[in-house]
Amino acid sequence: MLTVSQVTKVFPGSKGIFDVSFTVEKGEVFGFLGPNGAGKSTTIRHIMGFMKPAKGYVQINGYDTWKDQGRFQKLVGYLPGEIAFMEGMTGKSFLDFMSSLRGGVSQERRAELIKRLQFDERTPIRKMSKGMKQKVGIVAAFMHEPEVIILDEPTSGLDPLMQKVFIELVLEEKAKGTTFLMSSHSFSEIERTCDRAAIIKDGKIIAVKNIHELQAVQRKLFEVTFENRADRDAFLGSGLTIDSYQDNQVRVSVQGDYNRFTQEASKYRIRSIDLFTQNLEDIFMDYYDREGRD
Amino acid sequence: MNMPLYGQMLKNHLRTMSSYAFGSAFYILLMFWIFPSMKTQSESLNALLGSMPEGLSKAFGLENGFGSVDGFISGEYYGLLFVLILSIFSIMTSTQLMARLVDQGSMAYLLSAPTTRIKVALTQALVLLTGLLLITAITTLAGYGGYAWFIGDLNEFDSSRFLLLNVGAFLLFFAVCGISFFISALCNDEKRALGASGVVVFGFFSLNLVGKISDQLSWMQHISLFSLFNPAGIVKGTVDWIPVVVILLAVGLAGFAAGIIVFRKRSLLL
Repeated sequence: MLTVSQVTKVFPGSKGIFDVSFTVEKGEVFGFLGPNGAGKSTTIRHIMGFMKPAKGYVQINGYDTWKDQGRFQKLVGYLPGEIAFMEGMTGKSFLDFMSSLRGGVSQERRAELIKRLQFDERTPIRKMSKGMKQKVGIVAAFMHEPEVIILDEPTSGLDPLMQKVFIELVLEEKAKGTTFLMSSHSFSEIERTCDRAAIIKDGKIIAVKNIHELQAVQRKLFEVTFENRADRDAFLGSGLTIDSYQDNQVRVSVQGDYNRFTQEASKYRIRSIDLFTQNLEDIFMDYYDREGRD
Repeated sequence: MNMPLYGQMLKNHLRTMSSYAFGSAFYILLMFWIFPSMKTQSESLNALLGSMPEGLSKAFGLENGFGSVDGFISGEYYGLLFVLILSIFSIMTSTQLMARLVDQGSMAYLLSAPTTRIKVALTQALVLLTGLLLITAITTLAGYGGYAWFIGDLNEFDSSRFLLLNVGAFLLFFAVCGISFFISALCNDEKRALGASGVVVFGFFSLNLVGKISDQLSWMQHISLFSLFNPAGIVKGTVDWIPVVVILLAVGLAGFAAGIIVFRKRSLLL
């Protein structure tokens, strides 16, 4: 459905994206992960045909997104990373305008999306908070029921409740066969929706992996607080990877093998367990450590 | 061209365009209103003009004197003020229609809709020209109205020459808009587009002015587009229209075409 083939674009100062290639199948939710400045937005600009690749091409359903302008956009919904609307518009007038540019969209669909995301479309856009603008942008990307939806950092600015609504929305559309590409700088944001993810760093794709594989290499830190010191000491000797400990608290690092951790922990009286997830860079590092060992 | 985009853009810009148009209309009415009182003193004013260096009165289009209403309006209004108003309009509006949308990022929404960049750019160019036409048309109407209202005797008024004044101004600014549209289509940065257009348009304007004032520098006006609009000459009927029309239309069309092509071909940071 979406093919990015060897797309290269070098900016002055030798930053840019190099030989970026991946494909997204129909009905798949594809994550595009990378730290800030890694080239996610640049890649998305090429996918949307805003930039001309120095080398390579992007195709959506067989249309080249640089050459076949005017055709591929019918299939695509797009949420920009930085949302900028034209001045002097309300949410409603903006969505009306986008509908007319799209040649008309289902009013019921639009009303349903607005209701689920809970915002007042009559508010002037310049008075909207970041999260509210993000909601307007999400409606604009979804309302015409496109076959492919491209989302640049979709959940930024949304509160946890709205993030949940957004995830439900994505999963519903996925069930209908819609293809997604969404970028993010945090793994936890996409792991609930994505099937596969590409990881980009310094303009290069360093891995395209099934999300379960990435989950398996992701280390999680559990901070376990024991009721008494003796239990703690026994736990320390259980052979789990101990990150650190202090008083009755122990930080255990778990990678994939959750059963062993729960079995060990269930032997003792525990006051509380906190969870810390690893950030993206550490996941990459672990990924490479493991590749090296295998 | 893209009708929904045209409608929306016209809506966004109609208020500013009307301000320019009604400002200009108001000013031309004012000129007609003060003309009768100027006419009673036209002899002394003409004597004053005679005492000024020839270049200066030519530069500001005053060589037709204050005796006839055509001469007065062509010199006082079309010679300077209307040209300034339209210069500002061309620079500001062309920048807002292209470079600002790219700079702000809202162009991303226009280009993610099923349309082509050529259509988007063409539509924006037409919005710009619609504004130019609106301002010139309202000024023309106000001119006729002002004459009928304040001067009255329509026999003396050469209405076709007055119309030609407006046609000449429109043609000049068709070319100027073409150039500033091209600059705007080329720029990622709104301020840079505004600055570059301003330098080019007011540069041409000044070349023309300086070339007219000084005999040694008269070559300067020949490289300025603004010398192709000669209000005093139009009123006297001494303008050779064919090269004027051909050059101005050609420059304008080339500017718009180049703007559209450059916008189609360049990478946008959206």
